[in-house]
Amino acid sequence: MNAPPRNDRRNALPQDGGVKLFRVMWVGWCVAAVIGCAPSPGAFPPNRIFAKRLELTDDIDLGKGLAESQVLLAELFGTPDQPRWPAMVSELTPGRSGDAAASRRGDTSSPEPLVRLENLRRAAGAVRSDEQGVHWGLYRANCVQCHGVAGDGLGPAAALLNPYPRDFRMGKFKWKRTPLGRRPTRDDLRRVLLRGVPGTAMPSFANLDADDIEALVDYTIYLSIRGEFERRLLSLAAQEVDWQGGEHLYDPAWLPSEGMAAQAWPAQWRDLMEELANIVAQWQAAEELPIDVPHPDFPLVERTPSDDAGQLSETGGIEQQIIASIAHGGELFRGTVASCSFCHGDDATGTGQQNNYDEWTRDWTVLAGLNPGDTEALRPMLELGALKPRPILPRNLTWGIFRGGDTPEDLYLRIAHGVEGTPMPAAPLQPGNPQGLRQEEVWDLIRFLLSLSDRPADPRPGSPGGGT
Amino acid sequence: MSDSRNEEQGCPQFSKLTHGLAVGLTVVVFPLIWVGGLVTTYDAGMAVPDWPTTYGWNMFAYPASTWLFGPFDLMVEHSHRLLASLSGMIAIGLVVAAWKLDRRPWFRWWAVGLLLLVIAQGVLGGVRVLLDERLVAKIHGCVGPAFFALAAATGVLTSRWWFAPAAGMEGAGRRVGKAVAIVVSGLCALSYLQLVLGAQLRHITGWMSHRSFRGLVHAHLAMAGLLLMGVLVAAIMVWWKPTIPRVRRWVMGLCLLVVLQIVLGCATWVVNYALPWSELNKTLAGYTIQAKGFVESLVVTAHMATGSLIVAFAAVASVRAWRFRWVVKQGRVQ
Repeated sequence: MNAPPRNDRRNALPQDGGVKLFRVMWVGWCVAAVIGCAPSPGAFPPNRIFAKRLELTDDIDLGKGLAESQVLLAELFGTPDQPRWPAMVSELTPGRSGDAAASRRGDTSSPEPLVRLENLRRAAGAVRSDEQGVHWGLYRANCVQCHGVAGDGLGPAAALLNPYPRDFRMGKFKWKRTPLGRRPTRDDLRRVLLRGVPGTAMPSFANLDADDIEALVDYTIYLSIRGEFERRLLSLAAQEVDWQGGEHLYDPAWLPSEGMAAQAWPAQWRDLMEELANIVAQWQAAEELPIDVPHPDFPLVERTPSDDAGQLSETGGIEQQIIASIAHGGELFRGTVASCSFCHGDDATGTGQQNNYDEWTRDWTVLAGLNPGDTEALRPMLELGALKPRPILPRNLTWGIFRGGDTPEDLYLRIAHGVEGTPMPAAPLQPGNPQGLRQEEVWDLIRFLLSLSDRPADPRPGSPGGGT
Repeated sequence: MSDSRNEEQGCPQFSKLTHGLAVGLTVVVFPLIWVGGLVTTYDAGMAVPDWPTTYGWNMFAYPASTWLFGPFDLMVEHSHRLLASLSGMIAIGLVVAAWKLDRRPWFRWWAVGLLLLVIAQGVLGGVRVLLDERLVAKIHGCVGPAFFALAAATGVLTSRWWFAPAAGMEGAGRRVGKAVAIVVSGLCALSYLQLVLGAQLRHITGWMSHRSFRGLVHAHLAMAGLLLMGVLVAAIMVWWKPTIPRVRRWVMGLCLLVVLQIVLGCATWVVNYALPWSELNKTLAGYTIQAKGFVESLVVTAHMATGSLIVAFAAVASVRAWRFRWVVKQGRVQ
């Protein structure tokens, strides 16, 4: 076989094609290597979406307010790499997070601080660990992909998740044992971290060390308080500050010198710190608010002799009670007092109300005068990074899968106290509401819910479902 | 004795030692890629803050009791360094063997290039640690699989088959179509680009916008679809046309790997982020992701390692296809 002529175009093609392919590959590689590699700017991203909402509702330009708020926030809370905790706020909230005030008074018996600075430092910054297995950068290693640097729920993966990740900055958390409108306890946050949320991107962090979990709890509270304070600052900037008259939201000259007593603070600084202290106080108060879940009068479900080695062998009388309770629970489910079927559907598969939005979405849509379903109207917000609104759908209760926890205690809390930030209300209860449900009727509802799926009730001794 | 056998088989240039080193390098680099993947999965890249030392020790003298039975992050990172050193040593051996035993000048320089690449990869790993820079980690994560594919290709370049690719094929009517060679080469390029995209998704930082991430995910999915179509086309081509087994086998393997990789990719998304429509299925709706869980880490790391394996398979198939065609064109086989 003769070698092909050197100038044969056909034979030259593979080589030319190879060079081209190589060039394309190289350019593609370089582009792909750089895409998404946004450098760390070293600062928390500001809440531009809330600022835009205020601009829309109050017809004001908040550019200066946004800038000044960021200066103050950096002064008080530091940066994602070097967090600070505004210990001076303890001057205005003595006795709780006031580790600084308490230590100055020599009071060593004061309660645990709300947030420990050393925990914030462990959770913040770049990911690393040491020879002893102590981890730093926990938030970036475990949370930032979804919840974002500022805890705004706008992390890189957020848009592809359902439900969207939680935005901590409104101070609202779904799964807790405090009343609606109140902050969660540390234990609530800890439980969610350890348990995770089934069916969602929120994992269980049970494989992390207990210290790491505590650091993440602290950092979550820190981001939430920082975010709430930012919202408050922006509201003040929109509604209280006379910009035309030369007023400022914050002037670095107001910053008191270290160790200065609160009484000597400049008035403007004191006002700002009181705003912050009010937010901190709500978190502190949450620790006093956990709801005690009452026990049902009789077990939630009938136990067969094979269950739990007969720990809960029941009599025929209780069996009849349970059957009656389930039937009554079904009536309540479809009735007008509990009104569960309005959203969850008569068959409890979640086929009822389909066009509600949660409060995190309503905050920048409905409250900004925008229709969540009108994509064109939402465009200014979407361009700022807001996630396209999705209606919050009622749960299918027939699967026995409950995101906020599946113990009878969890179910009681969800029914009796609602789910924060969602259309799930707290059921009207007696004696506060004479037309409301009796406490035992809440358990009837729970028995009904448990009867819908094949999951067993939590038989742990002492748990409400395990009987008294 | 082996030389006389080689002479008998018409491949006097074949060196068992060189080939053994090339194959050994490939065999060592694959677990190295797995362990490197574990480093990323467990965010253990900064478990040792210094380089090339390990907490001030010469890395080979670092007490096993400290890293082998110490924190998991430390074990993973230090194992990665030791395995990388081993691959570097094998690459040095390959260079020596190539210059001593191989008569092909271009191959000697190929071996030198391979050594330089493994050194560069090691330096990249060190720079990633010293600068604590995710971008370098990303590049390090992309160079590793490229090196693995080149090492696998080196196995072909040093094999007995390379010197007599058409041995036993005379009159069998077996061949490698030009289209097959082009498709397989394209798959090699495409699978590497796909791997680079995957590395962007693996090494995300909190400052990446959700739009960029979504764009990357969609590009990764589109590329996966393209790759699947590509391997199916290649598989059909080699199945229906009389292609030499040495190419057909690798293409069919590639096809299986891509299918496996798509399954692993879906599983990787589920164990990282859950499906957006998890409510459609009771099992998915009830699944709680375990952060740093064993199964979760295994799935994610397997997805990464299989990506590297796909590139390597495509590289081997390409090298074989073009080599066979070249030999046929040179008139060494009818």
